[in-house]
Amino acid sequence: MSLVSGPGRAGMADTPVELQLFVDKHVRYIQSLDTRKDELEYWLTEHLRLNGLYWGITALHLLGQPDALPRQGIIDFLLSCLHGNGGFGAAPGHDAHMLYTVSAVQILATLDAFDEFEERIKGGRKRIGQYIADLQDRETGTFAGDEWGERDTRFLYGALNALSLMGLLHLVDVEKAVEHVHSCANFDGGYGTRPGSESHAGQVFTCVGALTIAGRLDLVDQAKLGAWLSERQLKNGGLNGRPEKKEDVCYSWWVMSSLAMLNKLHWIDGEKLTAFILQCQDPEGGGLADRPGDMVDVFHTVFGIAGLSLLKYPGLQEVDPVYCMPRAVTKRCLGK
Amino acid sequence: MPILYGANPTWADVTPVPQEDGGPHPLAAIAYAEEYSEAMGYLRAVMAANEYSQRVLGLTEHIISLNPAHYTVWLYRAKVLDQIGANLADEISWLNPTALQHLKNYQIWHHRQTIIDKLGSPEGEGPFISTMLEQDSKNYHVWSYRQWLVKRFDLFDEAELAWTESMIEADARNNSAWNHRWFLVVGRKGGQALEESIVDREIQYAKAAIRKAPQNQSPWNYLGGVVRRAQLPASSLKDFVLEFADLDEPDKVFSSHALDLLADIYTQDEDKKDEARKALDLLAVKYDPIRAHYWNYRKGLLDSSPAAQQIA
Repeated sequence: MSLVSGPGRAGMADTPVELQLFVDKHVRYIQSLDTRKDELEYWLTEHLRLNGLYWGITALHLLGQPDALPRQGIIDFLLSCLHGNGGFGAAPGHDAHMLYTVSAVQILATLDAFDEFEERIKGGRKRIGQYIADLQDRETGTFAGDEWGERDTRFLYGALNALSLMGLLHLVDVEKAVEHVHSCANFDGGYGTRPGSESHAGQVFTCVGALTIAGRLDLVDQAKLGAWLSERQLKNGGLNGRPEKKEDVCYSWWVMSSLAMLNKLHWIDGEKLTAFILQCQDPEGGGLADRPGDMVDVFHTVFGIAGLSLLKYPGLQEVDPVYCMPRAVTKRCLGK
Repeated sequence: MPILYGANPTWADVTPVPQEDGGPHPLAAIAYAEEYSEAMGYLRAVMAANEYSQRVLGLTEHIISLNPAHYTVWLYRAKVLDQIGANLADEISWLNPTALQHLKNYQIWHHRQTIIDKLGSPEGEGPFISTMLEQDSKNYHVWSYRQWLVKRFDLFDEAELAWTESMIEADARNNSAWNHRWFLVVGRKGGQALEESIVDREIQYAKAAIRKAPQNQSPWNYLGGVVRRAQLPASSLKDFVLEFADLDEPDKVFSSHALDLLADIYTQDEDKKDEARKALDLLAVKYDPIRAHYWNYRKGLLDSSPAAQQIA
């Protein structure tokens, strides 16, 4: 999946608000991404390829077009990114890293391909699980992104996400991980990348997601965090990620999914946010951008669509706020 | 001018490894920019041969200049530096302009942290960070790195606090700077109690910032945080809040955050439920209608048990 931005731009802010979601255009936009290998940016974004594939596939599933990309080709590509240690790189020849490993697991889950994967790589699932588990620091509960050791609550969330989808949570010390997340809570109710780091809606999503998977939302100051999250909505309906910052479509996902996990989605104005997200579409070429007038890309496309799904936009598949995957898929994997 | 490795005798012993494309579509002839393509071919070759040398350092520098987000290149560069015992101060001198060119890059900060950790001194880092923040004063990577530096070299001192104040003075809406102040003053204490003089100082500091810009979220969050941390009642802020939001003058509310806190203070007072309701109505209808559902939820709590009323 190409991470190339454009070629189109989102409509301008004065586009009429009775806009619709251009489902077919978005499907074709995502399908077209893999045909843009003649552009330098396709290669310069190679280090995100596997994430991009997850974003594209998830968007297509939520749009109700699960077969819009060739399943077999995707699985072959995944296998070409797999390392002997059970980790996945972003593309063939790239080092294994937590973030791509999580994307790979999410893709396998969405395509219902775990059995097929297991047939081709004996003991494959277990090996992935072990790769992830070995990245946990058993003293502090944190997770590194790779053998070089950078730590971030994103990696911790990713670990719990992927392991729970494979039914392998027992490979890690969940309790210690929970303690670590709790130590990242800030005075304003939010969470950051590490203890003491500024609250940021993206990190709030990872921390609340991790605590939800661990069944420990009781540790969250829910009223305070809910208030902070709802304060992210600006007058134009869009959401920002930190106080005094600009709105951006991807925060539709980070903020709303967190509110949904806390059962407080109704604390923001859904109608205004829906209108804002729809204004971020390129009405001709498909795809969504961070805000009206900017270049579209697959990252903002999936998080805009997932946001609309949380807002119950008609015709979209239901999204799971914890995993950013179709709810039908997580139900199948988790059995609940 | 592209560096062409194929025409350079220094690289004559290396056969570049072509791109292996495992993707759904076989890689056909593509107009892959020649320079990047060639450099990557040589990188794949030296990585396969585990070569650690000065020329590989130059090669990684070249690729990073073309594509700084390529994490594998950074990791390999770190390995090379380590293996050849490179001069780490030189590495920092090279990193400075590179970081300035790529403000949103992630890898660069982890790399820098590793190098400075090994060098064992924060010298020169302050001015460098200031240069970075001049480009984007809310850059999350830079502030995270600053926290790491403060912890690693125990820089919880007056100079750091003064620098943070200068950042807040330059832009009182910089939430990252407020967070850094909290980290310096309160965060370092862990669970320990704060001295009364510090609590007073912090409350006065936040109040002064609010008086300059009453609708600024950051100092309100900070003020509320300090008051809660010091276990003072919210009502201790009542006189201050009334400067910006007084129910007797509903058309002259200067801050929705003040009104929010006022509602909270009234909520906790059994005899002031009506006032609390009035403040929340003003927020829902007039001063922050986009969050009307939230304010109405707060109103709903007024009629429930006292335990559920502790919002702040």
